[in-house]
Amino acid sequence: MAVPTDVIPRRPTLLFIVVLAMLFILMSVSSQTRVGDTRTMFERAVMTIFSPVPKFVNWVGTAAQDIHHGYLDMRRAVNENVELRRKVAALTTENLKLRQSEGDQKRLRALLAYAEKFDLQTSMAQTIMLDTAGRFKSIIIDQGAGDGVMVNDVVANANGLVGRVVLTTNDLAKVQLVTDNNCSVGSLIERTRRQGVVRGNGSNAVQLFDIPALADVQAGDRILTAGIDGVYPRGITIGTVVRAEPGQSLFKNVAVKPAVDFGSVEEVIVIHTRKIPPGVVRYAP
Amino acid sequence: MRWLRFAIGLLIALTLHSLLDSFYPNALAFFNPYIILVAYYSMGGNILGAIVAGVLAGFVQDAFSNAMFGLHAFSLTVCAYVIAYINSRLALRGTLAFGACLGGAVIVNELVIYILVSLLVKQRIEMFEQALLVKTIFTLLFGMLVYQLLTLFLREEPIEATRRPAAW
Repeated sequence: MAVPTDVIPRRPTLLFIVVLAMLFILMSVSSQTRVGDTRTMFERAVMTIFSPVPKFVNWVGTAAQDIHHGYLDMRRAVNENVELRRKVAALTTENLKLRQSEGDQKRLRALLAYAEKFDLQTSMAQTIMLDTAGRFKSIIIDQGAGDGVMVNDVVANANGLVGRVVLTTNDLAKVQLVTDNNCSVGSLIERTRRQGVVRGNGSNAVQLFDIPALADVQAGDRILTAGIDGVYPRGITIGTVVRAEPGQSLFKNVAVKPAVDFGSVEEVIVIHTRKIPPGVVRYAP
Repeated sequence: MRWLRFAIGLLIALTLHSLLDSFYPNALAFFNPYIILVAYYSMGGNILGAIVAGVLAGFVQDAFSNAMFGLHAFSLTVCAYVIAYINSRLALRGTLAFGACLGGAVIVNELVIYILVSLLVKQRIEMFEQALLVKTIFTLLFGMLVYQLLTLFLREEPIEATRRPAAW
């Protein structure tokens, strides 16, 4: 028998009891079937109807977490990038310093070995100014009279002759380069022992003078100091002959390429030569 | 219209349920959004509507929790009926009245669950008293806040009572 529709609102308590009874039966069934992890069809239906909500919430949560983690990762990456850049800069600086030190060490070692060839007293100096572009070719070194440097001391490096000291202060000295116009060096050709005079030509080259036209001079001959001018000791390399041509007079025109690259002189040896007393120099029998 | 509002409320409760499950898996042991919805709906005094609301909300909660299916539907229906019955007689209004109803509902709900679980599954719920206390406090606070927001900012009132006297 069908229940009239207007009866239900009038009997809510009855409906309540009926509903509770049905729910109790449903629970009892559910508590029995749950053992095998099987869910009632009704439960499945409710889950299916409302499943978009948890799925959506989960999607939003996952997306929010992804965004959050992405942001954190980005922040971390930016910080890491800054840190790495700082490290790269520091390592680059350190690398440059090490390369510089390595270069310095090589040069100093070569210079030291070169200095040991002389039985004269030597000292090391550092070039602090370089003037090789002007008419007068000179360098300034960081050793002066206070360090025992005197005028006419010879300056060389591992490659060869640089010049001589022409002026000293207490802590600095000016060195006239062999390429200077006013510089003359008593010299000889290593192969033939033929002596001549090397003079600067104002540019970055030197010339060997007073070589007779018949003398044997070839390109590639090494030119050394002869030790006959009272300033430069014997045996320091000046340069190499690059060209030897017959001149218009009795002598040859011999062009010499200096052994030293004056544009890159850094450390030098100051050779404290034995000075000839002025009286002896001026003596005329 | 009132059922639409109830459906929206149910979706919000389920969203809260899912959110809490995702981020704080144990949070639902201390807070029940469904009972706030049922209590709010039952404050209207419509007993029939309250019973349906309790059953629906309970089914949704059951579907997405690991309890026996029908357990929460049963307990929420009991709560809904009690609140609606009282309101059909006394027509309680205001935040404090809602708070009292909600607090009572939470306690009744937990007690009903406790009894049913003891009867049907023969299990004892661990730390029942502590969980009941915490759940009552948190649910009450959150529910009263929601009620206050709805009445103050949305000019929302509990769904209007039908004022039908309950009778056998």
